[in-house]
Amino acid sequence: MLDLQGVSRHFISGRGHVAALHDISFAVEGGQAVVLTGRSGSGKTTLLNCIGTLDLPDAGAILYQGTNICTLSSRQRNLFRRRQVGFVFQAGNLLPWLTIAENLQFPLELNGIRGAAQQRRIEELLAVFGLSGYDKALPAELSGGELQRIAFARAIAHAPAILLADEPTASLDSDNSRRLVELMLALCTARGTMLFIATHDQELAGMIETVIPLKDGKMETRP
Amino acid sequence: MPYPFLLKIAAVTLWRSWRATAVLSFMIVTAVAALVFLSALAVGTNDAMIRNSTGLFSGHIAASGIREADVAQLAMPGVSHVLVRRHLPVILRHNSLIEPVALVGIDPDREQEATALPGKTVAGRYPVAGEAAISISQDTADRLGLAVGDAVTVADGQGVGLKSLTVSGLYRTGITQLDQGMAFCPAAALPAGAASVSAAFFLDADTPLDTTVARYRQRFPAGTFTPWTEFMPDLKQLIDLEYICMAIVVTLVFAIVAVGISCSFLIFTLKNLREHGIMKAMGLEAGETALLLLIQIGLLTIAAAALGTLAGTLTTAVFAHTGIDISTFTSHNQYFAVSGILYPRLTGEALLTPPLVAVVFGLAASIWPIVYIIRKNPADILRNF
Repeated sequence: MLDLQGVSRHFISGRGHVAALHDISFAVEGGQAVVLTGRSGSGKTTLLNCIGTLDLPDAGAILYQGTNICTLSSRQRNLFRRRQVGFVFQAGNLLPWLTIAENLQFPLELNGIRGAAQQRRIEELLAVFGLSGYDKALPAELSGGELQRIAFARAIAHAPAILLADEPTASLDSDNSRRLVELMLALCTARGTMLFIATHDQELAGMIETVIPLKDGKMETRP
Repeated sequence: MPYPFLLKIAAVTLWRSWRATAVLSFMIVTAVAALVFLSALAVGTNDAMIRNSTGLFSGHIAASGIREADVAQLAMPGVSHVLVRRHLPVILRHNSLIEPVALVGIDPDREQEATALPGKTVAGRYPVAGEAAISISQDTADRLGLAVGDAVTVADGQGVGLKSLTVSGLYRTGITQLDQGMAFCPAAALPAGAASVSAAFFLDADTPLDTTVARYRQRFPAGTFTPWTEFMPDLKQLIDLEYICMAIVVTLVFAIVAVGISCSFLIFTLKNLREHGIMKAMGLEAGETALLLLIQIGLLTIAAAALGTLAGTLTTAVFAHTGIDISTFTSHNQYFAVSGILYPRLTGEALLTPPLVAVVFGLAASIWPIVYIIRKNPADILRNF
């Protein structure tokens, strides 16, 4: 279980002291999907970064299985991210100089999955995402929809407990968006993975039961 | 993360972004190639100065006080020529004019094989074995009013005429020690007297000078064996100075190149900043990030240095074959008295120093990009894209 308790994050910018997140509290169970909605600057990405330990809240706690991940050392946070978190960034963000298979290999290598097990996992992922035969292709050779599917495949390759997707459908048409989200939901539900999607796409938000709307860093309603 | 995968990522990054890699490498390739060639040229210049200075007359080792009994045993492996010379102080007299000289009895055929002095004949010819002839300098001829074909009387210290020799040729070297106070005749034409025996030793290219001198000193304790580095200390210092200058040039060039590499690699790294952010977000640790960048810069520098070494070697090979004629700039230089043609030569040091310095400076240049990336927060990186 992931439990956010009064998470706040402030930045100092040209506009002065900005509350990117203010007193965010909610809990999510394994296998549950959550969609974070709100306009640009509402705090969606900052919240994902805090959950993924890329950023640290100024106040509050994020408990993962009872441990406050905000108090972990830099190395421990890094290992937590490596083992427990998968990221799907905007526009895929695959490593452009690595082939599709090498991109999938990356999180597996980081997590010590090598040899035949690694090869099996890559083949399995490519098959599940309908991209068998693309293993030697470079990201530049794939369409936007294919790139996002591979990005998702990479994010779940090492079977993380938490999947964070920041505007994963921003560069896709509505059909591809819907298909990708359906796939994410199905796989996360089946594997018991917590899924957090940040989006401003209302149609996508409608596909997920738990919606957390954010406005100026605050939750408009609590789930 | 295991090293082989980091190595693979580093290699494919360089390989698949080959344009950026080529641009980055160009500076290193050029610098290494230029410095390999310059080092070879420096060695070639030193070779030419040594060759010119020793090849004219003295040889690489000059020996004096040789006993007649030892003359036949002076040959040694690694010594290409041993020229035995007998010196007799005499007075040359022509009409009423006299000139004291050291008359050197030589084997003309062997002298022509090993030394460049016969080639410095400006009038007439070098004497041939067995004839009663003498080769004198143009200066001596002017002072005595002699010309080729004239007879000159060879007298002892008291002015008693010992022999008459015909002037076969006149020479001019531009070197005072040879142009003043010396004359040459075939050994058989040397007047009888208490001549001292000297020898000039010419070594093969790969024969070590100091070891050979030590061997001679051990074998012939009665003689005095002097390497060219001792009887021409000015040349030795000049060569040492040139090596120091070359070392300074190599260091300066690579200090500048290192700044260039560092800036270029920082740009290369910044171009891939988003990807570094993604890898850090996925859990790549600071040490792994540093190692990845270090491997990238290391691979790039090693490959570029190897290519530069090859280019420098090929360039050297071409000029070593054709030679570089710098006679225009050396006509009044005693160290180029025989020939002004340089033949660049690669030694182990000349070949290895530039690439090794390139790799060391290249790795030093990686510190800046590495520190920059390590200090960047992945969230900040990704937020800015």
